[in-house]
Amino acid sequence: MSKLFVDLMIAFRSLVQHRRRTLFLGTAIAAVTALLVLLTGLSTGVRETMIDTATTLSTGHVNIGGFFKVTAGQAAPVVTDYKRVIEVAKKTVPEMEFVVHRGRGWAKVVSDTGSMQMGITGIDVRSEPKFASVLQLVSGKLDDLAEPGTILIFDNQAEKLGVKVGDAVTISAPTTRGTNNTVDVRVVAIAHSLGLLSTWNSFIPIDTLRKLYQFNQDSTGVVQIMLDRKDLDRKIPEISARLRTALEQAGWRVMDADPRAFWMKFQSVSREDWTGQKLDVTSWEDEISFMTWTLKALQGMSVVLIAILIAIIIIGIMNTMWIAIRERTREIGTLRAIGMHRREVLWMFLLESIMLGLFATVAGVAAGAGIASGLNAMHLHVPTGLQFFLMSPFLHISIHGSALVQAVVTITLVTAVAAFYPSLRAARLRPVVAMSHFG
Amino acid sequence: MKMTTHRTRTTSFAFALALLASLAVHGRALAALTTPQMVDLLKIVDDRQKNNGDWRANAYLEQKEKDKVDVVYETEYYRRSSDQKFMILFLKPKSSAGQGYLRIDKNLWFYDPSVGKWERRTERERIGGTNSRRSDFDESRLAEEYDPTDEGEEKLGAYTAHKLLLKGKSGIDLAFPMIRIWIDKDTKNILKRQEYALSGRLLRTSYYPKWKKVRSESKGADVWYPEEIRFYDEVEKANQTLVLIKAVDLHALPANLFTKAWLESKSR
Repeated sequence: MSKLFVDLMIAFRSLVQHRRRTLFLGTAIAAVTALLVLLTGLSTGVRETMIDTATTLSTGHVNIGGFFKVTAGQAAPVVTDYKRVIEVAKKTVPEMEFVVHRGRGWAKVVSDTGSMQMGITGIDVRSEPKFASVLQLVSGKLDDLAEPGTILIFDNQAEKLGVKVGDAVTISAPTTRGTNNTVDVRVVAIAHSLGLLSTWNSFIPIDTLRKLYQFNQDSTGVVQIMLDRKDLDRKIPEISARLRTALEQAGWRVMDADPRAFWMKFQSVSREDWTGQKLDVTSWEDEISFMTWTLKALQGMSVVLIAILIAIIIIGIMNTMWIAIRERTREIGTLRAIGMHRREVLWMFLLESIMLGLFATVAGVAAGAGIASGLNAMHLHVPTGLQFFLMSPFLHISIHGSALVQAVVTITLVTAVAAFYPSLRAARLRPVVAMSHFG
Repeated sequence: MKMTTHRTRTTSFAFALALLASLAVHGRALAALTTPQMVDLLKIVDDRQKNNGDWRANAYLEQKEKDKVDVVYETEYYRRSSDQKFMILFLKPKSSAGQGYLRIDKNLWFYDPSVGKWERRTERERIGGTNSRRSDFDESRLAEEYDPTDEGEEKLGAYTAHKLLLKGKSGIDLAFPMIRIWIDKDTKNILKRQEYALSGRLLRTSYYPKWKKVRSESKGADVWYPEEIRFYDEVEKANQTLVLIKAVDLHALPANLFTKAWLESKSR
């Protein structure tokens, strides 16, 4: 123990003695670590925003959707007898945080100056616990969405339709039997755009959606199950399988697992030769599978950037170590001459690098976390084009303790690995040659 | 002494001001209509246009839009007071012939013979894509559909008009939820309307320059109708619609006229 303490003291004193070099290299390592923390934080932030946004706008963590076919060729995204579906879900998934149901539709929205096709989600805003926390209203009141004949749209849609709160728009859509129906709705709230998902999405009270499509009161579009965030990655496949079995046992026909959004299944479902109700169990990743490429692209870019940064660290450390060894060759020779083993010389240099790496990464992590907190607190607006992919009008960097520890361990290890070969060469020096070195 | 005179003058001035203010308030109270008076006024407006029977007329709709060729539609429209049925059949141009709107049980249906399908539309529907609405051709039901607020009197050229702000009653499907209306004080004919969204945005201004009357046997009195209506789009400023109503016929219509089958048969 005292030997390790002595070694640590030697390493520390050596770092202090060569403070200029230590400071230079340490700053470089700290900067790279801070950058790593920020990049990982950005990637995690986008993922979390994506999950929050997606699970607010268009999907639950686990969904029980499905199709109702009046004839073999006409499929509608409808779940009939949804209250019984919810009962089964509650019994089967005791770990659920809460469950909501929403209507699904696709319609033409016509204002006095324009029109656009958009997804229509029917909700009961009073039973949506997280809805208000994700949406940021530009104008209007979210509570007014509880009134029949109202609509919530996003600012990009309001701009395109040329409407503001209080204006009326007409929604036109074909019913399951193919007859076009229309309802007039009043814009009661306009929310900040949430990127890709909010471009084609709008919200109306579920009863208004039922009126538009002439659905019964016991029909909905999807039952959305929300879980605790910690359960998201590991439990969803198991919960989905459990739900499939339970729903089949309760008498429903359940579609085979298909990792695509519900609207991508219309063609294949319409081609199938069955009528009536079939349920479909999907995860949030399935429902936004068409856009997870943005996250993958960001993660890919982060990996490339981190790899470049690590390569720079390795080259920098190796270079600095070569210089250090050259400067300290006579010292190494003397130490070897008074009886220090090669292994101990190797350990001495490695320990010095590890210590430098540790101090620098801790400083880098602190700086990275500080910058991230500062940027988050500033509520920085991201450019509109970027909002489309980030799904948020603001920059959000998510820093978790585990990510910080991971950054410290990774960069310190990289430092040690980079220092290994120069340290090995130093340990292999013959004492006589080393002592007679002038440089 | 000087101070006393000054005080007396101040008191007299204040008194005069109070008197003037009181007269102004009193005057306004005299001019303003009470809610029952406003409702009665609307009932008179409605009643003058009511037929209490069947109605058939020709309507010519001229639509002018920015950067587009002017279009004129020739239509025939029918209505029945007893059950508030309503129908418009497009006769010209050829591309629109056979199209029509049918109102049954407060549902407005649109039929397009080129696709052979019926579509349910709302009261906001622009008839034939013009700036007219179904209610522009129907009997007036202002007292039934709107709550009035008095906005005093206003001169419109040579006419003195009652100006009322009407807000739509809840639960009624209306083309416009808010209307500002100018009613001729002498004849009780509508002179002008401004139609708004609930946000207060002005959507359309309508002028009624010509009113005509026709003797109704079923009513036992005259029925007034606007022979010409001009609609100005306030959102797309360059767009306007002219509606001319001609050849009004108040004889009883066949019982089976207001049916989908009848309208469909007109395009076969």
